[in-house]
Amino acid sequence: MTHAELVADLNAQLERVRLGGGEKARARHTSRGKLLPRERVDRLLDHGAPFLELSPLAAHGMYDGDAPGAGLVTGVGRVQGRECVIVANDATVKGGTYYPMTVKKHLRAQEVALHNLLPCIYLVDSGGAFLPLQDEVFPDREHFGRIFFNQATMSEKGIPQIAAVLGSCTAGGAYVPAMSDECVIVREQGTIFLGGPPLVKAATGEEVTAEELGGGDLHSRTSGVTDHLADDDAHALAIVRDIVATLPKPTRAWERIAVEPPHHDADSIFDVVPADVRKPYDPHELIARLVDGSHFHEFKALYGPTLVTGFAHIHGHPVGILANNGILFSESALKGAHFIELCDRRRIPLVFLQNISGFMVGKDYEAGGIAKHGAKMVTAVSCARVPKLTVIVGGSFGAGNYGMCGRAYSPRFLFMWPNARISVMGGQQAATVMETVGQPEVGASLREQYEEQGHPYYATARLWDDGVIDPRDTRDVLGLALGACSGAPLRDVGYGVFRM
Amino acid sequence: MFDSVLVANRGEIARRVLRTLHGLGIRSMAIYTEADRDAPHVREADAAELVSSYLSIDEIMVVAARCDAVHPGYGFLSENPAFARACEEMGVVFIGPSADAIELMGDKVRAKAAAEVAGVPVVPTYTPETAEYPVLVKAAAGGGGRGMRVVERPEDLADAMAAASREAAAGFGDDRVFLERFLPRARHIEVQVIGDTHGTVISLGERECTLQRRHQKVIEESPSPVVDAALREVFGREAVALAQAAGYVGAGTVEFIADADDPSQHFFLEMNARLQVEHPVTELVTGLDLVELQLRVAAGEPLDVQVEMTGHAIEARVNAEDLRFFPSAGPVLLARYPSGVRVDAAVETGSVVGTDYDSMIAKVIAHGPDRRTALARLDRALSNTAILGLETNVGFLRSLLARDDVRAGEMDTGLIGRLDPPEPPLTDEEAAAAWASAQLRRAGDDPWQRVDGWRLGGARAPSYWTLSVNGGAPISIEHNLKGSDPLRLCSGPWVAVDGWTWRVSEPSAEDLHHVAGDGELRAPMPGSVLLTPRAVGDEVKAGEPVVVLESMKMELSLTAPSDGTVTELKVKVGDKVGRDEIVAVVA
Repeated sequence: MTHAELVADLNAQLERVRLGGGEKARARHTSRGKLLPRERVDRLLDHGAPFLELSPLAAHGMYDGDAPGAGLVTGVGRVQGRECVIVANDATVKGGTYYPMTVKKHLRAQEVALHNLLPCIYLVDSGGAFLPLQDEVFPDREHFGRIFFNQATMSEKGIPQIAAVLGSCTAGGAYVPAMSDECVIVREQGTIFLGGPPLVKAATGEEVTAEELGGGDLHSRTSGVTDHLADDDAHALAIVRDIVATLPKPTRAWERIAVEPPHHDADSIFDVVPADVRKPYDPHELIARLVDGSHFHEFKALYGPTLVTGFAHIHGHPVGILANNGILFSESALKGAHFIELCDRRRIPLVFLQNISGFMVGKDYEAGGIAKHGAKMVTAVSCARVPKLTVIVGGSFGAGNYGMCGRAYSPRFLFMWPNARISVMGGQQAATVMETVGQPEVGASLREQYEEQGHPYYATARLWDDGVIDPRDTRDVLGLALGACSGAPLRDVGYGVFRM
Repeated sequence: MFDSVLVANRGEIARRVLRTLHGLGIRSMAIYTEADRDAPHVREADAAELVSSYLSIDEIMVVAARCDAVHPGYGFLSENPAFARACEEMGVVFIGPSADAIELMGDKVRAKAAAEVAGVPVVPTYTPETAEYPVLVKAAAGGGGRGMRVVERPEDLADAMAAASREAAAGFGDDRVFLERFLPRARHIEVQVIGDTHGTVISLGERECTLQRRHQKVIEESPSPVVDAALREVFGREAVALAQAAGYVGAGTVEFIADADDPSQHFFLEMNARLQVEHPVTELVTGLDLVELQLRVAAGEPLDVQVEMTGHAIEARVNAEDLRFFPSAGPVLLARYPSGVRVDAAVETGSVVGTDYDSMIAKVIAHGPDRRTALARLDRALSNTAILGLETNVGFLRSLLARDDVRAGEMDTGLIGRLDPPEPPLTDEEAAAAWASAQLRRAGDDPWQRVDGWRLGGARAPSYWTLSVNGGAPISIEHNLKGSDPLRLCSGPWVAVDGWTWRVSEPSAEDLHHVAGDGELRAPMPGSVLLTPRAVGDEVKAGEPVVVLESMKMELSLTAPSDGTVTELKVKVGDKVGRDEIVAVVA
């Protein structure tokens, strides 16, 4: 498929997901005077402000297609002139209940707030855990309970958290507002209780309405669980905005300079980067389409040329770019480690443009210590204190994924292009390996499996990234992401042992 | 010619006079009051002195003593014989007619007699006994419509005369009033004259000022669309005869009231012994600088001008007032004036329009080869005029100029009074959207400062606004920023579109709550009901007590959260109420 076809399909998927649980569920939702989750987000944000949505295609192809977007809208948006993480339940998707991927998406949004010290706003409208999958959402470390653990520890880090209760907030969900700094509830719409009326009746025989049990009046006047009583969604969101206005402003970790657009149109990315990940191209051409004024101050151009490194600006933010230009050799890895250290010292965020099939293999290379040289790059990537942003623009295979700041290396944000592929090795290589060890039939099925599981939709469905993006949006997405990162102070520089 | 001239006025006319003075190389002196400390005329003059009032003759004479001459502008002391005399005594030239001529023309009764003697037709006057109704009550010392009243029935006459007399006393320090024939359908046509000290008086043609609101001119033009060459000759002859009979020196205006259907039937109304607000239309059709002519005749030069009227000129007065012609005031956040026409403006961006002085803040004057072109130019110019920060009549002026009767020249002085307020070209929703669109201006190059509702995959989200237009109830709009959105002139809460302006504000969450609130009155603590001053069905204003409780030996008033009606009263005097109990509802 061409880039244009891939993007058309991506946009079709995004459009489908934006409709949440479908026409009927939406109509039922709005007939109760409630706003749809995306409209809630739009109304919460500053007028016309961008919203960098995260993992909109979460749960894609999972749960029989019952949970578009995993029933949760998350992202970074501007409220009262400052970037905030927003987590909004979509009650049109199975009543906003938490599937395993919903939990993962919620936790990831909190992580974004935590790493970037962004205020976190919860727009709550959820029935709690999706009961049929309780074993995948309840008991484990990264399950439902982690949401509240995060709320507590985020608060401890000074991250403001605000909740607007716009619908149900049942059982464990009751802790979302209860553990927020400040919360708003909509009268005769929002409810907060540990056990709903049916559970109460079953447990104690007490008969009580939802509003009496945990409505806005009760919580705002009697229990004090909520701090503000709103007439409707729009009013609640206006109150949240007023609350955000009282938050202190962050200081920026680096300075932004005046923006100069690239000298090439974003559309021309399609002309210089082939959609087929097996076809080589010159990464300088891609960089020229992402950075301000197409100015790239290259570092060590003549040494280890399979990794292109250099300094530039994106939307005025300083960046150090690492872009693959073939397989990683020892020199490329050493150069990469050196460059990461430079950027780290200079407080320059790192941008990884990943298109890597791995480190070089073979007798000479092993003998040359490629394992320890690769390790140096992995150490540098792991320990750098500056924000790291990763875009998988092509292949993301094997240890190359590690050296180039894959998900496991906690980049502040990680996005993927629709043409990209991600797996421990390419499907073809896996098949060849199995044929070589005498299991050709396993090889054939492995190839198929790798093709399916390496697809960006498969990856993004499972939150291995923060979203699949139109390659032409890359510059803007990076600009927004850099802005979102820039409010968190940088810790001191510090590294583990670099094996020499 | 004079070396230095004091401009004893303010606003646009002070600036207008300064322009000519500076063009002639004459040093200018201005005066100003505390309220006008930052006014443009103060800055534009070569020097300026603070006075307590523009009417303070003593203070002004101290400043005038340092100048060769005084230009009084219009209004204030321009037609004050005492001031003219004070100048005379100090040896400072008063740029205007003699004190005697001012006195004569300032007295409506004597002026009328003088006109009669000069052979100028005058409006018949009556005594209360001989009055034919409708009759007009006028102040002898009046002007500008003050102290003027139309009386339809004899039984109303006494009251009207008393009221006019009071108004006249307050406005002019002279309570005399008289009665005059009232023309129900009249046009106001006036002739600009100027006389020199050598006995020459010439006519500079007529102006039609029929479009008036509350007896104050709004639109003025020259020539009049209903005056032909022959009639112009008659008007000119009459005006000159009167001026000559009065020994008139300087610029003056002889005003006539004419039958709207037959302007050859016209009567002397009064003579204004000064430069008029509407003098620019005469300047544009004659090509003369009237202020320069005033200066020259005041300096004793003989008049030497050829009067030739070319094309058509129309002036519109921009007033700080609402659609009901009530004055408005406030800081001028932004003043934009049109190009391609003459603009004589009193205010600029940053000025403050107060209520101390006249509500006229600018004049927009268009000239063209014919009336049609002049009208078109004026309308275009007004559509590009925007004074943001207070209400103005620019939209009204445009609606007036768009009328078929006005375009056809079919007007009478009562026309504006018969009109309903014009419909603005935009609905409140459209005005709100125009304002919202103007707010969506990107403040910088940070991608987070985008205002286009950027979303992944090329989608663009709308922005949602809840806005109040001109203080009305909040309206909700959904706005999609399109690349083709017209650029709207906007400052603070004000937005201008085609000469019209709207004040748009964003109610706070608190305000929205009051609008959408439940209106429940709850007891803040336990107590007993002491009073119920309101009953179900009563209209209440926000803040008015509905129920009074006694609690902890204190009286507690539970007041209406907003204007509305008491829909529920759940308690009666003596009832015990619990904390948070709802006692009444106002909806």
